[in-house]
Amino acid sequence: MSTVEEKVKESSEHAASAPAKAASEKSGGEDRNAGAGGPITLFFILGLAASLVVGWVVFPKLLYSQKSQPFDFNHALHMEEVDNGCESCHFFREDGSFSGSPRLAQCVACHEDVQGVSEDEKIFVENYVVEDREVPWLVYSKQPDCVFFSHAAHVKGAGMDCAVCHGPIGESDHLKVYEENRISGYSRDIWGKNISGIKRNSWDRMKMDDCAECHMETTGRTSSVQTKKDGCFVCHK
Amino acid sequence: MKEGHNQIQTSKFGMVIDLDKCTGCGACMVACMSENNVPFREDESDKLLSITWMRVYQISNGKPYPDNEICYLPRPCMHCEGHAGHSPCVSVCPATATDYDSASGIVSQIYTRCFGCRYCMGACPYHARYFNWWDPVWPKGMEQYLSPNVSPRMRGIVEKCSFCFHRYQLARDKAYYEGRRTIKEEEYQSACTQACPAGAITFGDLLNPGHKVHQMVLPDLNHHGRPRNPHAFRLLERLGTNPKVYYLSGREWVRRAGDNYVQGEKQAEHH
Amino acid sequence: MKIDRRSFLSLGIGAAAGTALSPLPWKITDDLSIWSQNWPWTPVPQDGEATYVNSVCTLCPGGCGISVRKIDDRAVKIEGMKGFPINDGGICILGLSGLQLLYGPTRIASPLKRTGKRGEGAFQAVSWKQAISEVVDKLSSLRKEGKPHTVAGISGEREGTTGRLFKRFLTAYGSPNFMHVPSAADASEQVLYLMHGQGTTLGMDLENADYILSFSAGLLDGWGSPVRMFKANSRLKDKKGKLVQIEPRLSSTAAKADKWLPITPGAEGALALGLAHVIIAESLHNREFIENYTSGFEAFANYVRNGFSPDIVAQITGIPKAGIVSLAREFAGASRPVAICGRGQGDTPGALCEAVAVHALNALVGNINRTGGVWSVAQPVDFNWSQVWPDEPARMGLARKRIDGAGGPLLPQSLLNRFPQAVNGKNPYEVQALLVSNANPLYTMRDVESVKKAFDRIGFIVSFSSYMDETAQYSDLILPNHHYLERYEVVEGIKGMTSPFIGMAKPVVKPLYNTRHTADVIIELASELKGTVAAAFPWASYEACLKQTLGYKVNALAEDGYWMDGGYMPPDWSNAFKTPSGKFEFNLSPFKHKVYTHPEGDPSIFPLVLIPYDSLRLANDQIGNAPFMTKTVADTVLQKSDAVVEINPETGKQLRLAEGSLAVLKTPKKTVKVAVHLSQGVGPGIVAVPRGLGHLGNDRYLAGKGVNVNDLIGPVDDVVSGLDAAWGIRASLAKS
Repeated sequence: MSTVEEKVKESSEHAASAPAKAASEKSGGEDRNAGAGGPITLFFILGLAASLVVGWVVFPKLLYSQKSQPFDFNHALHMEEVDNGCESCHFFREDGSFSGSPRLAQCVACHEDVQGVSEDEKIFVENYVVEDREVPWLVYSKQPDCVFFSHAAHVKGAGMDCAVCHGPIGESDHLKVYEENRISGYSRDIWGKNISGIKRNSWDRMKMDDCAECHMETTGRTSSVQTKKDGCFVCHK
Repeated sequence: MKEGHNQIQTSKFGMVIDLDKCTGCGACMVACMSENNVPFREDESDKLLSITWMRVYQISNGKPYPDNEICYLPRPCMHCEGHAGHSPCVSVCPATATDYDSASGIVSQIYTRCFGCRYCMGACPYHARYFNWWDPVWPKGMEQYLSPNVSPRMRGIVEKCSFCFHRYQLARDKAYYEGRRTIKEEEYQSACTQACPAGAITFGDLLNPGHKVHQMVLPDLNHHGRPRNPHAFRLLERLGTNPKVYYLSGREWVRRAGDNYVQGEKQAEHH
Repeated sequence: MKIDRRSFLSLGIGAAAGTALSPLPWKITDDLSIWSQNWPWTPVPQDGEATYVNSVCTLCPGGCGISVRKIDDRAVKIEGMKGFPINDGGICILGLSGLQLLYGPTRIASPLKRTGKRGEGAFQAVSWKQAISEVVDKLSSLRKEGKPHTVAGISGEREGTTGRLFKRFLTAYGSPNFMHVPSAADASEQVLYLMHGQGTTLGMDLENADYILSFSAGLLDGWGSPVRMFKANSRLKDKKGKLVQIEPRLSSTAAKADKWLPITPGAEGALALGLAHVIIAESLHNREFIENYTSGFEAFANYVRNGFSPDIVAQITGIPKAGIVSLAREFAGASRPVAICGRGQGDTPGALCEAVAVHALNALVGNINRTGGVWSVAQPVDFNWSQVWPDEPARMGLARKRIDGAGGPLLPQSLLNRFPQAVNGKNPYEVQALLVSNANPLYTMRDVESVKKAFDRIGFIVSFSSYMDETAQYSDLILPNHHYLERYEVVEGIKGMTSPFIGMAKPVVKPLYNTRHTADVIIELASELKGTVAAAFPWASYEACLKQTLGYKVNALAEDGYWMDGGYMPPDWSNAFKTPSGKFEFNLSPFKHKVYTHPEGDPSIFPLVLIPYDSLRLANDQIGNAPFMTKTVADTVLQKSDAVVEINPETGKQLRLAEGSLAVLKTPKKTVKVAVHLSQGVGPGIVAVPRGLGHLGNDRYLAGKGVNVNDLIGPVDDVVSGLDAAWGIRASLAKS
């Protein structure tokens, strides 16, 4: 029980299902009072209940398509093997750019052949290592093309911990299902698991306002003439 | 969070173009296009529709042959400061798509924010802004040379010279990685500056007396950055747009042409 | 329970209220706005690791160092290489556009064999094995018939290892007919041969000159090594030196010069002799040099004294007498003056006497092999290749006269300009096969129509082009070369370089298509032909050949991209000249060709004079414009698909042509439709036409735009050197 998804699920399920539950209890009550209030109230309640169910339960299910990663990956296991934490695999290049998801060449150093008994490792070696193909990972925190995100500024410059934005992904045994927004094409993690947009942890949501808010709190920069916040091009390209 | 990471240097990036050295070869235009993923179409001869962030104009002294003289004038975005950052385009943008950043002096354009009303194009006295009337289309295979550092635009939005601010971002990345807070003059240079085979373009921080641009124009910061070098001038100075692109020329008619004087009018006195 | 309209209304209101209380509308609004910002058809460039690969640009003979920025395996930007001796970080517009050529639609992806009629553009892909065996079959059968000399080769390179291997191949095979694309370097090579007595290359120490007198040389329009020239000019400006441009048109060079002297087109050589007249008459020449190290000075002095007084020259050139006199004084009085010639980008040789006249000016001021002057520069590479031992059939072939009549003591090694005439007219033998490498003669040669006619008489044409250019389109078989960013290439013979220099281009990306290096193909062709032909190519591959040829220089080339004899100084005056007299010779023989000739055409039918002009924004050699370059072309040069020609407003008035109006331009060679630009940069009676337009091949961003000025002008043989002396032609212009 240690995937990020499951940790987050507890809180978000609670938040999402509560109003729906309340609504259905309420509509049950209305039935008994049908004679007094007449069909008008009944229909109002029906409409209200149905749309609440659609909005809170059906809509999120429809909005996101579920995609699975090429194979599972155990962050926790790898963390035990490496010396330099996240940066062992997700490192900075000499020009200050961030390497992101590891390339095949990095993995091959250890995974030339199948080492363990895991089915996923077998998939990795047979389908990718042997065929010399890069793994098409689905990146949960992928930002759109218009965003310039500087890992160097945050990690090296501001000394921030990876988990501030990425959560405790390094402690997970499995990769969660990747959910893609059918309209925007974004990963669900950008808006956050919680459909209402409520945020409990710093990594729950990665929208522009979240960036701007943190920049305002921590840097106090107001150099943008338009927004009185940090300059637009600091994070856009 | 560490203390002091908000202390980035305050700069005013600007450009000086030596018109006596510029040969009008067009290298700056293509350096810009290939750096910034600028699209192209089959027919680009209608210059009102042709997207050229950097465009080389040709001006003339108006005299007949053989006393005719011409001068080439490269025109990037002027990154006007106006008064306190209220440059003409920034003041009219209803979408917060274009912005003046007072920490760097850069007028940025955020494409995804723009909805294409084109007010900024009307407001810009330098024709530095271009509208995407069509979706950009690269012939099959050519999209391979697109740079990931600059986001390709789409139909219906306005774009313009960015002073290659993505190079500023990359330079800062490197500085952060090396534990520095400042970047060196040569670390942030625009693509046109770097390419110019005549060495006619100079780029740097106008506030930094160590930078070449400062030394070349000697901007008078008490008077909206007016140049103190008598050979330096800015385009349409008297509009008060307070641009950060300066031009140098030893020829008087060229300097006068920069401010759109009415024929026979006496040149306004500099203060 | 009654269900009425109100119930439904109530249901609707309830639904609306519920929806508003759910995240649905807000989330959908947000997602839709994001969706509207990212159309799926707008490409998103893949990010990755940024690296730089250094190489040398071979798009023109300038030899600039380039740094190509790559993101993983993709090349995304070409920049000038910092610290490279020629361009030190600067780069020209063509070099910057290279990636559009690499990834562009004009590349040839595999060997192709013609299926339709010639020039129709119908080809089918064939394997390399088949393509090579077809060439080998043709070549061996011609050799068996005793006709190896009927094979001709056209190479874009005068020097360079690929060009040399190509020439060696023809020699071993038995054909004397190796031709290179001509340029002003052919004329300067002849000049050095005649006046210095040796076949070295001509270097220009422009960086250290303080007075540059240019006879229509487009220093800032792409002459020589363009970026080096730009830097030299900026340096000249910084140290307050002077550039004087003599040219009929206000070119970019003229616009940037300290003084522009418009001249009657074609009269540059006469002006040089007029200046010599004044210098000699006023004894402004360098006595030390003239008296001790030259021969033939008296004869030369007599020649200019009699025929080129300032009065006569003023008449020929249109420059007032006083201007000629003061120019001569200024030139001779400067401390490091240098005179240069080669019209426009120097792609056309021009009459030999012009080059001799200009070089004589440099000699008069003693500016030979001195700082800030013109130098003879030694060969950078000693080609220690073993001698070719031709077999009997090859010896027979090599004994035949060259088809272009070149060679011999006074003539250049190659005269491609004469090739079409020779094939079309009375030639000693029919040309059966033609191999074309790194050249596009069906675009770059004058009077393209006659070149096409000549090609029609040749049964078998093979192109090695990387691009679907005009010549590739017209060939029977295409054996595509790797693109210049995909291959090794040794660059030598950089125009005007003052030090022995070689550069090495190396692969920046893996070959994208099924292409092969032309040098490797030549080596394979030789090995398939067996016998002495194969024996002349003892290398397994081009790379092996390079290693052997370059010897110790290979390391420097691999590391820095160039090898240069940086401390090179040309021999001093007492050792510099290998002529019979051992001195610098003022040779008058080239003046058998008149120094000023009227252009072709009857003035009563063609009242105007057409001159072509060069611009860096229009590549006009073998490489056609990339889309970015055409995008920068001004609307006073190209309007939609019409080429724009420049005329003086006065001429416009006479012909009733207004700005932008369409007109018919007629020359003795061809009639075309153009648009008109009224310009104060050309004199009355002149029509200036841009070079580099009017392509039929390449991609849709270039083909069918404007006119090819080479269609309009025919070649004129220099009666002495055989080089093409044409600088323009007569023309008429009328409202269409």
